[in-house]
Amino acid sequence: MAKLRQIAIYGKGGIGKSTTTQNLTAGLSEIGKNILVVGCDPKADSTRLLLGGLHQKTVLDTIRDSIQGAVTLENLIKLGFNGIRCVESGGPEPGVGCAGRGIITSIDMLESLGAYTEDLDYVFYDVLGDVVCGGFAMPIREGKAKEIYIVASGEMMALYAANNICKGIQKYASRGEVRLGGLICNSRNVDNENELLRAFATELNTRVISFVPRNNIVQHAELNRKTVIQYAPASPQADVYRDLARAIDGNTEFTIPTPIGADRLEELMLKYGMMDIADNYKI
Amino acid sequence: MAENIKNSLKKVSVSTREQRLGSVTGYHGDLQDLVSKSRCGTLKNRERCFSQSSLCLSNCAIGQLLGIRDVAVIYHAPSGCCATAAGINVLLRQLAVRIGTVNDTIMVGSDIDEKDAVFGALGYVRDIVKKVDERYKPKAIFVASSCVAGVIGEDIDSLTDELTEELAKPVIPLHCEGFKSRIWASGFDVSDHAIVKRIVKPPKEKRPVINFKNFFESERKQITEIFGELGVKPQFLYLNSTVEELEHLSESLATVCICGTLGTYLGNALEEMYGVPYIRTINPMGIRGFEAWLREIGKVIGKEKEADAFLRREREKYLPEINELKKELKGLKAVIGMGPGYTYEVARVLQELDMEVVWAAAWHYDGRYDNDAVPPALDFLQKNSPNNIGLSVADQQNYEVMNILNRFKPDLYFSRHPGTTVWAIKQGISAVFVADEYMIFGYKGTLSFAKTILDTVRNRSFEKNLAARVKLPYTDWWYKQDDKSMML
Repeated sequence: MAKLRQIAIYGKGGIGKSTTTQNLTAGLSEIGKNILVVGCDPKADSTRLLLGGLHQKTVLDTIRDSIQGAVTLENLIKLGFNGIRCVESGGPEPGVGCAGRGIITSIDMLESLGAYTEDLDYVFYDVLGDVVCGGFAMPIREGKAKEIYIVASGEMMALYAANNICKGIQKYASRGEVRLGGLICNSRNVDNENELLRAFATELNTRVISFVPRNNIVQHAELNRKTVIQYAPASPQADVYRDLARAIDGNTEFTIPTPIGADRLEELMLKYGMMDIADNYKI
Repeated sequence: MAENIKNSLKKVSVSTREQRLGSVTGYHGDLQDLVSKSRCGTLKNRERCFSQSSLCLSNCAIGQLLGIRDVAVIYHAPSGCCATAAGINVLLRQLAVRIGTVNDTIMVGSDIDEKDAVFGALGYVRDIVKKVDERYKPKAIFVASSCVAGVIGEDIDSLTDELTEELAKPVIPLHCEGFKSRIWASGFDVSDHAIVKRIVKPPKEKRPVINFKNFFESERKQITEIFGELGVKPQFLYLNSTVEELEHLSESLATVCICGTLGTYLGNALEEMYGVPYIRTINPMGIRGFEAWLREIGKVIGKEKEADAFLRREREKYLPEINELKKELKGLKAVIGMGPGYTYEVARVLQELDMEVVWAAAWHYDGRYDNDAVPPALDFLQKNSPNNIGLSVADQQNYEVMNILNRFKPDLYFSRHPGTTVWAIKQGISAVFVADEYMIFGYKGTLSFAKTILDTVRNRSFEKNLAARVKLPYTDWWYKQDDKSMML
């Protein structure tokens, strides 16, 4: 059996982490990989495209509702596209309790129930927004996820969040095996986006592993509750995700990131984001 | 500048002592320096790179309220946070029996577990409050927040508002999350804030009563008799009080407190809110303390003659013997390690008894009280001490105290918290445990205290024998260091 790779996908809220994770895992499943996707967002919508609808029973729902001993893997794991196993951590209702602690609880629960079986090639953690507190850093702590990919675009706040996430990774990398596998550019059609991301990646001591162009077919697929690979398997966008899947599958370049200061980040934005381009607000 | 109490009482919770009073848990210097820095606002806390012990402020907040005889405290906390409840329960019941009454107060923990930490558990707290109300019929219910409840943002304020309306009685939030402050006395303020804000009612009349805040009221009888001579009754707080009695605190003639650290918030709040004078003299320990205190009470309530007459009588009765004992005590060197409310008071009494205080370590230090003035006991010492005493704020760090004792090798160590004196004795140093808050109260207490000191130093064989047979965990290396070497 090949060694299980545990991967966490981080990035600014709304940047497209869930969409990217589901499409790339769909691509990995096409090349015969066994995958478990763990959604770590209280909204519990990280596996909607793979399952063709929302996961009805999250880990935390199950823990809350079940009598002791009745929490089983069968209740928690649903099979999605191409046999991809899907779990949603879930969380408390907005404004109550602690979602971060919920992620810790649910990952511990999955481990103790034996969800990480030997036949798995990959476990993906799709994590909510910024690493706002210890709970959301759980997948990169203590030997959970060892590879991190950050989804970013050329927008300032996306880069700012990516840089912050790198600070978290750097902290845990010093005493564990967690490493940064690269940036995934989910394009927002920002000026010079590819160049900016590559320059930013170099500063962070990593690389852009894939550039995913903006394409409305992604939205169409989402409305149909499918990944692009299911919805339009012959489309160029589906191939982009397949390429991303292969790039990650073959990736051997893992680094400890070197986050930069806010001033340096702004310098990069000015250098690449506004270079020689007259004001043009067309999107 | 200390925060104005009227403004403070508008808030849901009281600020910590660090924020409100500029209190510190780390300092190393001397009497003149500490007072000077407190006055000009340059006192800075010194952090430690190593801390041996601490105490949760919730203990002080909840412990105070549990002394009231007819309330309930719901502690929204993991079960471990309630570990001290059983001991407190037994103690408070015994202390009620001592004065021929019954403590019906109940404490219930909400037992926050993993699930509750994730989802919140205010629903359970609501059920607990209603069940407790139905079963025990308390006159008021306090809902206390713990660290976990605070971190996950449990909204006990809205819940207690709703339940106050629903149950038609005060249901009061207590924000005593332990991580807020390193100073346990911040917990006293949390309980006072709750009482003044939600229980005390505006005055309808003045009553011949003096509010007397203390801990365990061992001299209840004596104080009642002394106050009787002044034509007033003491209202002891909070132990063995009732909600009905607390409602009338605003109608009293004055507020006094056996410990400045314990009383600053309540005393100043009642004065600012309702004009009840707070007696801010040095405390009634030793001769000068007792006289200054009783004279000020007499002055405030218009009974100066009666107070003077009482003092004259007592002086004649006790002073000759005290003066005789002073001859034997003269020159004995002492180190003190206590809470700040007692450290500087006891230092003054030891000096009155002609002893020499070579070092005083307080567990914390309030740079100023809620009236924005340096604590009276320290102010008095600064003006009257024959020597510039070495002072530290040692935050219960036993290793610092052991180092100080080893350096000065005093004749006596005075401490006030259980388990602290034994460490000095194991070093071969005689120690006096000033446990009871009234141990040095008035002339009688001062005489008894002087006798206790003499008893302690006359036979040191126990200390010698124990020290010869005990191996302490502190190495020679540590004793060669400065006691402040772990302060940053």
